[in-house]
Amino acid sequence: MPKNIITIWKKELKDTIRDRRTLVAMILMPMFLMPAMTIGMFKLMDKIMKDQEKQTVKIALSGEDNSPELAEMIKSQEKLEIVSMNKDERKAVKEEEIDAAVVIPEDFQEKIEKQESASIDLIIKSTNTKSANVATILSVIITEFNNQVLQKRFSEQNIDSKILSKVSILPEDVATEKETGGFVLGFLIPLFIVMWSIIGGQYTAIDVSAGEKERKTLESLLLTSVKRRDIVFGKFLAVSSVAFVSVVVAIGSFYAALMYAGGFGPMDATGSGIAGSVAVNFSIEPQAILLLLAVSVFLILMFSAIILSISIFAKSFKEAQNYIGPSYLVVILPVVLVNSIPGFEPTLWYFAIPAVNATLLFKEVLMGTYDFGHIILTMGSLIIYSTIAILLAVKIYSKEGVLFRD
Amino acid sequence: MQPILSVKNLTKEFKGFKAVDNVSFEVGEGEIFGLLGPNGAGKTTIIRVIATVLAPTSGTAEILGFDIVKQPEEVRKNIGVLTTDIGVYERFSGRENLRYFGELYGLSGDNLENRINELAKLLDMKDFIDRKSGKYSTGMKQKLAIARSVIHDPKVLIFDEPTSGLDVLASQTVRNFMLNSKESGKCVVFSTHQMRDAEKLCDRVVIIHKGKIIANDKVEVLKSKNNAIDLEDVFMKLVKSSF
Ligand SMILES: Nc1ncnc2c1ncn2[C@@H]1O[C@H](COP(=O)(O)OP(=O)(O)OP(=O)(O)O)[C@@H](O)[C@H]1O
Ligand SMILES: [Mg+2]
Repeated sequence: MPKNIITIWKKELKDTIRDRRTLVAMILMPMFLMPAMTIGMFKLMDKIMKDQEKQTVKIALSGEDNSPELAEMIKSQEKLEIVSMNKDERKAVKEEEIDAAVVIPEDFQEKIEKQESASIDLIIKSTNTKSANVATILSVIITEFNNQVLQKRFSEQNIDSKILSKVSILPEDVATEKETGGFVLGFLIPLFIVMWSIIGGQYTAIDVSAGEKERKTLESLLLTSVKRRDIVFGKFLAVSSVAFVSVVVAIGSFYAALMYAGGFGPMDATGSGIAGSVAVNFSIEPQAILLLLAVSVFLILMFSAIILSISIFAKSFKEAQNYIGPSYLVVILPVVLVNSIPGFEPTLWYFAIPAVNATLLFKEVLMGTYDFGHIILTMGSLIIYSTIAILLAVKIYSKEGVLFRD
Repeated sequence: MQPILSVKNLTKEFKGFKAVDNVSFEVGEGEIFGLLGPNGAGKTTIIRVIATVLAPTSGTAEILGFDIVKQPEEVRKNIGVLTTDIGVYERFSGRENLRYFGELYGLSGDNLENRINELAKLLDMKDFIDRKSGKYSTGMKQKLAIARSVIHDPKVLIFDEPTSGLDVLASQTVRNFMLNSKESGKCVVFSTHQMRDAEKLCDRVVIIHKGKIIANDKVEVLKSKNNAIDLEDVFMKLVKSSF
């Protein structure tokens, strides 16, 4: 590597480190933002789950006298809160004053005694999620009630009620723990890597190009005998190094926060639930870490070259920020999209789309899948995009427009 | 006399506007050459084209036989250019600024440190060279910019208004620096609005007006040709009469 590239690389790093704003953007932001976001998110998820568990649904019950037995069973169900209504139940449900209304018809008891099939009325509003739950809760109660009725009828006819024994389901829900573990692995980590690959180097990229132009030092650099290509490479390596450091800091502090929150952290007993289960489910194989790092490096090289090309067009720091702001959205949006569609099955060519390919590959690797076609296509396409972006930057630097743009 | 710098029919247009119009001149070894002209005449543009940061629209220039279009890197190796309105790396000290540029020209170790100390002495920068350059005064920055432009001890020095913003003492320091360079066989080209500086220093001057050369001769010859008492008088007469 030409010596001048190293000289410029070192100088730009030294320059950027002496700027407090870079330190904030590169180290402090990922260091504190990531754990804060992580812990905050787990707290929120825990709260949502807890709320859902203890949430009671309000129902109105009319015709209690028509079957005191059934009414008593409904009342004793702790998830249901019975409220007395003196207005029209339909209207109350519609206005979501109550979540559902149960009506026991007058002829209910009579029909049961006659051994006819009886029914109760349930008024719900399906757009209200709590309302929809009522049907499930009621069906459990009704099954129980039916059992009792049948038992009574059998014993009246001297039939052993044992013949009522039937197959029952013992559900055990393990989904949430695994899903949250997978969510953290497959969603947050790729997103954070892509995010910090852009944000981490952004400040330095603008500083060494548009910033240098604004401070009027670029011309003196262009006046030296150094090849334009070497200038671009030196600056490009500086931007990439900074972005790499911030990705490592971001993922490192995220991991630390996860372990802390999951283990013996400051969270209350309830709060450690999800984070704890994630921390337990969180394990990466060494080869996965290596692969993540390698793909991250190429992702960083590509973004650094692109940001450097964009910001050299700008006359000032501010103008460069205006260009880069929207381009950031253009990258993050598709990444978030492919990332959050559940069960999304990417076709091969998705692995040729910059940033999207890395996201999908990170996800696969974190889940323990290694598809060599995907790995090679991702790496290959990232290398091609990086090269194009760097050549473009060199071309821009070689034109006089780099200094004097109308 | 073998010319070190020769400018040949140089023209530079900005979107059809001719900022430099068919300019030719030659400068030899041990010569100080003045570029004079009113504001907007095209002096800075000529300097930037020679320094290869602007591309000529037509014509060319050669430095020690290297062509500005075909061998820009060789050209830049052999010239030291100071442009106006130029910044320094404010988060670095003066010495660190000089070290960076020295390294970019391939200097290192004792060679580089000696050169920095030599320039600090010549340009009277010792008092502030180790301070952060962001806190420098205009004159200090100007001296640092001059030192930076000649860190590699080039054969050709091209200075655009080197004494602008300097006090009398500092101006003298810079003038002496140019005289020193001339004595050691360099070729010095500089633009200025200070006619007295030009008169004192220059062996020859060109006067440029609206991109064109309207005079190119020794100061003495110009004075006698135009019946003028000094260079300022020559300048006034020539610029006013050339419309
Ligand atoms: N990058 C540019 N784009 C467009 N026009 C330019 C550019 N640079 C210079 N000019 C124009 O070229 C002309 C010559 O400018 P130049 O800076 O060379 O003048 P100058 O002789 O150095 O003047 P001064 O004594 O004021 O420094 C001016 O009309 C200026 O507006
Ligand atoms: Mg000028």
